[in-house]
Amino acid sequence: MARQVTAQPGGGRRPVLAPSPGTAEHATRTYILHRLGIAVLTLLGMSIVIFVLLRFAPGNIVDILFSTGGYVSESDKAAIMKELGIDRPIWVQYVDWLREIVTGDLGKSYRYDLPAWQVIKPLIPVTVELAVLSTLIAIALGVPTGVISAIKQDSMLDYVLRVISLAGLSMPSFWLGMVIILGLVAWVGWIPPVTLVLASEDFKIHAVQFLLPAFAVGYRSSALIMRITRSAMLEVLREDYVRTAWAKGQTGRVVIWRHALKNAILPVVTVIGIEFAFLIGGLVVTETVFNLPGVARFLVQAIIWRDYPIVQNLVMFTAIVVILSNLLVDMMYGWLDPRVKYAD
Amino acid sequence: MSPSRVVAAVSLAVVLAVIVAGTPAISQTPKSGGVLNAMQREDLPQGFSIHETATISSVFPAAPCFNNLVMYDPMKRVESLDTVIGELAEKWSWQDNYRNLVFFLRKGVKWHDGQPFSSKDVKYTFDMIREAKDAQGKLRLNPRKDWYANVDTIEAPDPHTVIFHLKRPQPSLLLMLASGYSPVYPAHVAAAEMRTRCVGTGPFKFKEWKRGEYVDLVKNPDYFVKGRPYLDGIRYVVIVERGTKYAALQAGRLDITFPGEGTKTIADQVKAAVPQIKIETVGQTVVDNLLVNNTKPPFNNVKARLAVSLAIDRRAYVKAVHQGGAAVGASMQPKPYGVWGLMEKDLNALPGYGKAADDKAKARKLFAEAGYGPQNPLKIEMATRNIPIYVDFASFVINELKQVGVEATLKQVDTAQWHPLATRKEYQLGANLTGIGADDPDANFYENFACGSPRNYTGYCDEQVMKMIDQQSQEIDAKKRQQMVWDIQKKLEEDGARPSMSWRLDYVMQWPYVRNYVPHNNIYNYGRMQEVWLDK
Repeated sequence: MARQVTAQPGGGRRPVLAPSPGTAEHATRTYILHRLGIAVLTLLGMSIVIFVLLRFAPGNIVDILFSTGGYVSESDKAAIMKELGIDRPIWVQYVDWLREIVTGDLGKSYRYDLPAWQVIKPLIPVTVELAVLSTLIAIALGVPTGVISAIKQDSMLDYVLRVISLAGLSMPSFWLGMVIILGLVAWVGWIPPVTLVLASEDFKIHAVQFLLPAFAVGYRSSALIMRITRSAMLEVLREDYVRTAWAKGQTGRVVIWRHALKNAILPVVTVIGIEFAFLIGGLVVTETVFNLPGVARFLVQAIIWRDYPIVQNLVMFTAIVVILSNLLVDMMYGWLDPRVKYAD
Repeated sequence: MSPSRVVAAVSLAVVLAVIVAGTPAISQTPKSGGVLNAMQREDLPQGFSIHETATISSVFPAAPCFNNLVMYDPMKRVESLDTVIGELAEKWSWQDNYRNLVFFLRKGVKWHDGQPFSSKDVKYTFDMIREAKDAQGKLRLNPRKDWYANVDTIEAPDPHTVIFHLKRPQPSLLLMLASGYSPVYPAHVAAAEMRTRCVGTGPFKFKEWKRGEYVDLVKNPDYFVKGRPYLDGIRYVVIVERGTKYAALQAGRLDITFPGEGTKTIADQVKAAVPQIKIETVGQTVVDNLLVNNTKPPFNNVKARLAVSLAIDRRAYVKAVHQGGAAVGASMQPKPYGVWGLMEKDLNALPGYGKAADDKAKARKLFAEAGYGPQNPLKIEMATRNIPIYVDFASFVINELKQVGVEATLKQVDTAQWHPLATRKEYQLGANLTGIGADDPDANFYENFACGSPRNYTGYCDEQVMKMIDQQSQEIDAKKRQQMVWDIQKKLEEDGARPSMSWRLDYVMQWPYVRNYVPHNNIYNYGRMQEVWLDK
């Protein structure tokens, strides 16, 4: 008997609950290869969308450059467009970009006149670290409170936790971030450094610099995780096998964490995966408020400047993270629930 | 002591206190060392290539890297011919009845890469800007070519002498050469390289530019002014978010604000939170001006232009949009911030500067004469950039026009489209901000009001005004020139050429331990940081 797993983000073929035949390993490998194949096609489609949409935006880098000069000279404009290669037909520019990606050359930033990779490279660790920390905080806050809220359903504690989670969902993380910054400066006259401090330079300062924005972002995500955890747990706690575990005299900790949560965790993992993927490109305002030099903040500036090579490559990076995190979540289903097998 | 003597003594004490408070802090012995953390509102748009930009976002962090031939005295707030001092030029001399300007250059000056500085570098730089036929370099963008339109040739007879040969006398040339927009570039380094780093002769050398994050400059140990700079370095921290940048200032992460960023409202809030922060109010030489398209109906009709100008209450604009943080003035920065502004009584007699109700009545009458009224209301589109300070300006104007029966709609355009739209004159009315590199009539009039200038967005072109501009430009007698400049301003306002709304004020904030950082009445001209030191 095979049952379709619901609430999962991945595209293409999906993991199904199936008896475990001897070919499980082969099926898993085939499944991953299949998903990666679809990912390549998705990325190709994405590349076309990004490329075309960017060209639909009014103006280009040369218009912006002239804007900083406060005048426009049509002849000089044509010369710069030629120099940057944006006077060529769009399809030629697109093919060139694809060729550059395949050869590992991401092109040159129009704005900075530097290889795009050199500009993008330092941004990635900042955003990834912030996204990972935010996700960890969200899990640490969301899962236990969701479990407690479900166990103590309709108690005062449940109400308090639900209010806290609703507050988290209602407060935009950038607003919370700004409140943290303004609160710190008003009450203690201190804020974290406004330029990036590497962990190798000063670990404590680095940690504070990242933990504050990670908390602002993680709190919102934790509220969502808490609510999903709570509803999944409530469903599972009413299952026969949980009642059986209680009847067999197992301790509360074993029943809750080993039997109930393990069976309730799949939708929670799905939400965590979606949230993480969202954070990679969605930290714009948080990075701006905390002045962290990450991908999202830089992407906005690159869009304003119509710095096509930077925008295209950053969006592709975000797309790759989303696809990989979805795949990772799907693979985690099998690890979290041994009944899940990957059908070829 | 008699009561009158007491009053006299108290008055004297007050006057002295005001003088002392108004004088920059130079009484203490400067200390060397420390790094100044300066606010930077956005990443450098054109890197350090000052000659290719018209924004303070590049000029401010690049200024410490370079030197001019001459500069405005960094310790004096008001800028004029009297405050111009030598920098790379030890002295200068006007010759042949102001037709030749001869600079005698400092000896022993070196570029940051160790190459010697000479007159060749000066000739290279200014030939490149004026696009001389035999220029050795070329700029990608060249916003200030018009400043040097009167330069016929530049001669470098020996390594330490440069002669600017002019087509006609132009005393203002010295003021434009003193602007922050006029550094000398090295002839041996391609101008394009300045977009990624700077090689200058200035008090600070380029260390690092972390894109989108900060720019680090370090002390130039070989600087030609002995004992300068005092600072070990400067870090320009890029912070885009307004709340964060002022929180950083209050928390001491930043020592000074960015020129042109401080509004009255923010200054009041910061002062309330951190009373010890020093706030100085100066002019920006940035004017909010109304672009009235002179080349197309309805505003090719002077009556319609004048009616628009009359309809707008400048004083109400300053109160509503700037919360009092701006000064009303015509096309030159008003006194006491500028030296060429109209006298108060003359200003009040101009259209749009008198009593609001009277001016609005005149506006309605003029619109009626132009064929517009309640039965046939004038319907226009007001264009502006989709940036809050521009939109606030445009919204105010739309409301004012509504009061005289004009139905205006707001069209917000992206930054990328704004200057193409203005240059091509594809608009009817526009809300615009214009920064002027030097508080000088030549820098302003030729750029913004002269026939054919690429930055004359309104297309205003008047033969008589052009003659007046040329005449004032070559007038050597300062008093006569002042009168001519006043006459031009009146004429421009009466023609509704490009009505000025107000001149922005800047509320410059700095911690008291920052010494000798003296903001000028022009945001472009005080970024050198040579005299700045930290009293920590």
